[in-house]
Amino acid sequence: MSSNAFRRMCTVFALGAAVAVSSTAAAAEWGTVKGKFVFKGDVKPEKIVPNKDTEYCSKHELVDESVVVGDGGELANVFVYLNPGRGKKLEVHPDVKPADKPLVLDNHGCRFEPHAMTVWTADKFEIRNSDEGIGHNTNASMLFANPKFNEQVTNGAPILKQFTKSESYPSKVACNVHPWMNAYVLIRDNPYMAVSAADGTFEIKNVPAGKHDFAFWHEAKGNLKDLKVGKDKADRKGQLAIDVPAGKTVDLGVIEITPALLGK
Amino acid sequence: MRRRAAGRLIAVVAEATQYIQRHQNNSTIPDRAMKLTSRYSVLFTAATALVALVGCEQAPAPRFHLNPVVMVSNEISPEYQQEVANVLAAMFGTPDAPYALPESGLNQQRLTLAAGAAWSDKQGVDRGLYRKHCVHCHGINGDGRGPTARFLNPYPRDYRQGVFKFKTTFNPAKPTDADLRRVLNNGVPGTSMPSFSLLTESEVDALLEYVKYLSIRGEMETKLAQYVYDELGEAEKEDENGNPVLDEDGNPVMERPPFDPATNPEQGEVVKEILTEVMAPWQEASDQVIVPAEDGIPEDNRTPEEIGESVAKGRELFYGTKANCFTCHGPTGLGDGQQNDYDIWSKEQKAFQDATAQLQESIVSQQKEIARLGREGKETDEEEAKLAADEATLALRQPVAHSFYPIRNAIPRNLRKGVYRGGRRRLDLYCRVSAGIAGTPMPGVGAAAPGAQGTLSDEEIWNVVDYVLNLPYEPASNPQPALPWNSDQIAN
Repeated sequence: MSSNAFRRMCTVFALGAAVAVSSTAAAAEWGTVKGKFVFKGDVKPEKIVPNKDTEYCSKHELVDESVVVGDGGELANVFVYLNPGRGKKLEVHPDVKPADKPLVLDNHGCRFEPHAMTVWTADKFEIRNSDEGIGHNTNASMLFANPKFNEQVTNGAPILKQFTKSESYPSKVACNVHPWMNAYVLIRDNPYMAVSAADGTFEIKNVPAGKHDFAFWHEAKGNLKDLKVGKDKADRKGQLAIDVPAGKTVDLGVIEITPALLGK
Repeated sequence: MRRRAAGRLIAVVAEATQYIQRHQNNSTIPDRAMKLTSRYSVLFTAATALVALVGCEQAPAPRFHLNPVVMVSNEISPEYQQEVANVLAAMFGTPDAPYALPESGLNQQRLTLAAGAAWSDKQGVDRGLYRKHCVHCHGINGDGRGPTARFLNPYPRDYRQGVFKFKTTFNPAKPTDADLRRVLNNGVPGTSMPSFSLLTESEVDALLEYVKYLSIRGEMETKLAQYVYDELGEAEKEDENGNPVLDEDGNPVMERPPFDPATNPEQGEVVKEILTEVMAPWQEASDQVIVPAEDGIPEDNRTPEEIGESVAKGRELFYGTKANCFTCHGPTGLGDGQQNDYDIWSKEQKAFQDATAQLQESIVSQQKEIARLGREGKETDEEEAKLAADEATLALRQPVAHSFYPIRNAIPRNLRKGVYRGGRRRLDLYCRVSAGIAGTPMPGVGAAAPGAQGTLSDEEIWNVVDYVLNLPYEPASNPQPALPWNSDQIAN
């Protein structure tokens, strides 16, 4: 090896080391992203008239949950998640640990509880059937990266799952016995995701400081293309680059969702 | 006119030369190739003379078409569509010359035997088996849209999702070669899929390889489209520091990174990764075979009393909520339970149609909103831009949504007929009950993966199998017409 080539190699190594140091230094700092979704329109949740297990299911005043809005327009079930790009891994804050117990998707009262949820691949996921004497199946044939499944769930015998891969979007989970029943589960290989609560708010804590793409998604439309967040606008994929400064909370404020955005 | 005919002649001769060269290259027996050459030159001389005389156009070579549902729902632009098609062609070749990419593990020899135009060589060996036996239903793309497909019920399988119903593997797993071979040999009773047991073993093997080829190609197409949507697409140009590049008027400059894995090593890596993702389940299929516990398999020489006992237990399970068979297969097993659901192939089309209808409705309400804002003297530029974009999307979606055959419900099987699509062996029924039927509403009640805990025990699954096999002979206590209530939809 010529001395020249050797020197070049040393430079490459030195550069590599420098990059490694700077990335750990940056990742040791974390920030928070939060906000609130408000729907600017009227929604009258349609009543569901059960056509199966009518006696049991009719007791539960079921309504269509595709757009769930509070009295002040607070919009629930909006997914917000960090998208680092294909194949890129994110560091995880040392305090962020997988849940001790499995995250539960319950068949309860002829609906799924919760209707929208997030699952980190480090978490365990459990499907239950709490409807005594009612048969449910859980059909996750819309999974894309993880193995699809469709299983009968019976009382007292929950199904335990562990996922290994990130799904690009929330996946629809359905019960074929009761066709009105569905839920949306977002499976990611990082914990940086949230679903807006009944009061329309969401918060993602301990995000590695820096600029990241965040995706906004709602089941009525999918990607919230052109969503306006403050002065910025999400792109055609419903994604927006947000700068998360170390030790700070980025409050996106009230994010208004028009009926047109949800395809209404 | 004369010049056009001459041009055609040249083209045909060129094609014939290529064809002969290809055969010479492929053939392992040189003298056979020579014979072929002489035979073909005679044939092509005749053909060219005919073309010169009659002036008929030669039918274009069949080619693969992109999946319009995948392309339109992922908003893939015409430029990217062409690039995706190029990548697929480089990886998989054409219907006349399929390519078994080494990474795909497919067998080139089998593919070659199955692909291309249907003809027989001098030794009587049939070539172009897929086009001879399968294409009129399953289509050149394996999309289940051959010319006959429209008239069949159920419609022929669309292979492109890579999902197969009748197999001995766990629900999400791919079928094994043995599973596909069984379907080809036995056909699918109760459907238009006939038995191909008169073909030789090597012909069946060639066809099952080609079915896998079309599936893998279809899955690859979907994943590539999603990659293009997720990672590529027109975007604001950025400089080295990640700041947007602006033009003279201060507007961001847009750029379209081409999808060309041949020149872009990063994209090349991604395509390889995606191929690995698609291939892994196919390669692991044989590890995913359901093996019923040896000691749980019912004996062949059971007494009528023992069988009766098992049938009674199975009956209890069938009508209980633990196995929950009756909710779909109906209170008398006629398949008249839950009938308004869909399988994944119909669901894909229905979801596409529904979203298109929703978009159309949304356009109407946007027009009203713009009119209202206009009356109030407010700015409507932004609303109009969105409306124009949505109208353009609708124009792309509508022809696709209208191209589907009438969408049918997934009707649960009438179990009193004694016709079992996936085979009537007890093991076939065991696999259907245990794993459910992939792609359909039918859930599994057995273990979902090797070593997992199922809702029913092995013994209970055998009880259900016994009951299902007994159902055609059980008097219906309360006979009902087997007509599903949505028969009008089925008749369509």
